[in-house]
Amino acid sequence: MTHLTVAMRYLEGRAVASVLTAVSIALGVALVIATSLLSRGIKQSFVEGTTDYGLVVGAKGSPTQLVLNVVFRLASPTPNILFGTYETLRDDARVDVAVPVAMGDAFHGFRYVATTRDYFAAFPWRRKTFTVATGRLFRDDALDDPGYEAVVGADAARVAGLKVGDRFYEGEEMAEYPLTVVGILRATRSPDDAAIFFSVPSYWAMNEIARKMPQKPLTAVLVRAKKMSDLPALHRELNVSADTQAVFPSAILLTIFNLLGLADQVLRIVLAIVAVVVLLYVFLSMWSATLARRREIATMRALGASRVTILMLVLLESCAISFIGGAVGVVVGHAVAYVGAHLLAGRGFVTDPFAIGALQPAVFAGVVLLGVAAALVPAVLAYRTDVAEHLAPLS
Amino acid sequence: MPSGDTPAITVRGVTKSFPLGDGRTLPVLDVEHLTFAAGSCTVVKGRSGSGKTTLLNLIAGVSLPTTGAITVHDVNITALPEAERDRFRAQHVGYVFQTYNLLSAFSALENVMLAMMFAGAVPARDRRRRATDLLQRLGLGPRLSHKPHRLSRGEAQRVAIARALANDARVILADEPCASLDARTARDVLAEFLAVARDPGRTLIVVSHDDVMLESADHVLDMAMINRVPSSLPVVESVR
Repeated sequence: MTHLTVAMRYLEGRAVASVLTAVSIALGVALVIATSLLSRGIKQSFVEGTTDYGLVVGAKGSPTQLVLNVVFRLASPTPNILFGTYETLRDDARVDVAVPVAMGDAFHGFRYVATTRDYFAAFPWRRKTFTVATGRLFRDDALDDPGYEAVVGADAARVAGLKVGDRFYEGEEMAEYPLTVVGILRATRSPDDAAIFFSVPSYWAMNEIARKMPQKPLTAVLVRAKKMSDLPALHRELNVSADTQAVFPSAILLTIFNLLGLADQVLRIVLAIVAVVVLLYVFLSMWSATLARRREIATMRALGASRVTILMLVLLESCAISFIGGAVGVVVGHAVAYVGAHLLAGRGFVTDPFAIGALQPAVFAGVVLLGVAAALVPAVLAYRTDVAEHLAPLS
Repeated sequence: MPSGDTPAITVRGVTKSFPLGDGRTLPVLDVEHLTFAAGSCTVVKGRSGSGKTTLLNLIAGVSLPTTGAITVHDVNITALPEAERDRFRAQHVGYVFQTYNLLSAFSALENVMLAMMFAGAVPARDRRRRATDLLQRLGLGPRLSHKPHRLSRGEAQRVAIARALANDARVILADEPCASLDARTARDVLAEFLAVARDPGRTLIVVSHDDVMLESADHVLDMAMINRVPSSLPVVESVR
């Protein structure tokens, strides 16, 4: 029998209170772990998901909405621009690469993205690389000859159960225009994993309104300038135009991060309140346990336990329950993050719910220290228990 | 007043008063000189409030006298720092309480082992075996894993006796160990207590009014004869 055994026996002896205390600690820890993992994942998704292109050109409106929709597949699509805008930019001497993008409907929640093969090209300046896991990329169709070939992002293929050769469509009205899977992309840990790509002419053919339009529509054009010094001029010219706006994605990313930073601050306040509530709960639990146990404490003292031993037993008990609650909380936190990651994956965020780093040991050590701190006053109460007074026979 | 050639315990000029909280004190004990011979069995009797429990607590070093000194086996326990007094008590004094005072979260076996853990006198590897032997000698072999709420009063007091003997203490103090038991169980428990506790090297001081105990004792001590503070008539004096 050791001091830890004694502490554990006391925890078992008040099983309901111990379980409730451990659960409250576990919930607090789980909240910290899950929110930290998910918010870190969201930030990481924004960083990894951002485009390598210097400019995003779209219709007049909210620049944030344009980038969120075209780059991160969030928010509703902005109004259309004309295909001619793309052609002008493609032919502009200052432009290295221009990629048209048209955002369509979705299949099982996975967004349709109409583009060209350039979207996947491994240009030397690109951070992001696309490789096909199975099959091939879709063909760049002639403008009037849609091929309806689709390349599916890794998550979309896995969740929707699509494989090379499958024909699919969503909604009876689209039955005339089924897409055929010709390739599955390897995971890129970006919103592209949750997208379905095909050619722009296929998009025009599938879209009832676009079919009737003499000037074909696009959502945006991604632009890479030959020289960085040309970007400001391009940006200015496109914004002066009555129909288009040009946005620096990096500037929008900064805005998003500022917003996330604000959310982080609110989250920190919430977590601090949770920590205080848990601290109070542990304190009350240990305080009431010590009060109820003063006769037993006096007995232990009469048996020869020193004041320091009694103090240590109370601290050890609180430490043990914090340890158990903390360990359960870390596991539950990862489980919640796993569920949260699945929900976020549907919105194009790629988060790793099992990422292990400094967070887990820091939270775990923190909660054990908090548990010990919460038991300090009850421990001192136990330490100061008057033996003779509390040994008096019960009437 | 019990005495012998080799006193195991000496109480000299001991008084004990409790503060009343209003600047006054309540004296409960005033003993001029008292010795307990080594290996003797002394029964202490007296009216309620006569200072019996206070005397035991002072001898155990659970509380300190207001004045005077108590020597247990040549150690002036009243002069020891509290931590040393705790250690001394753990190793040399066994205490049997009137209401057993078993620790509710622990089994019978663990209650006995706990006393050994606090004293540290019995090696850790021997504690389980020694606790089991003691409990079996008291007829509690089938009750080793039972927690206090599953024990009868008689069984609980036997566990308390085993616990007091766990460290092979040279002094055993028992405060009305059978007051909570019916007459027949009390007789049986006392007989078993004496059978396992009486030893030439062990001094027993038992607060009791039981005939079995009175007949078995070497000495009977009446608190009315040794305590100069009359029971049930507290004398109140001001704190100086």
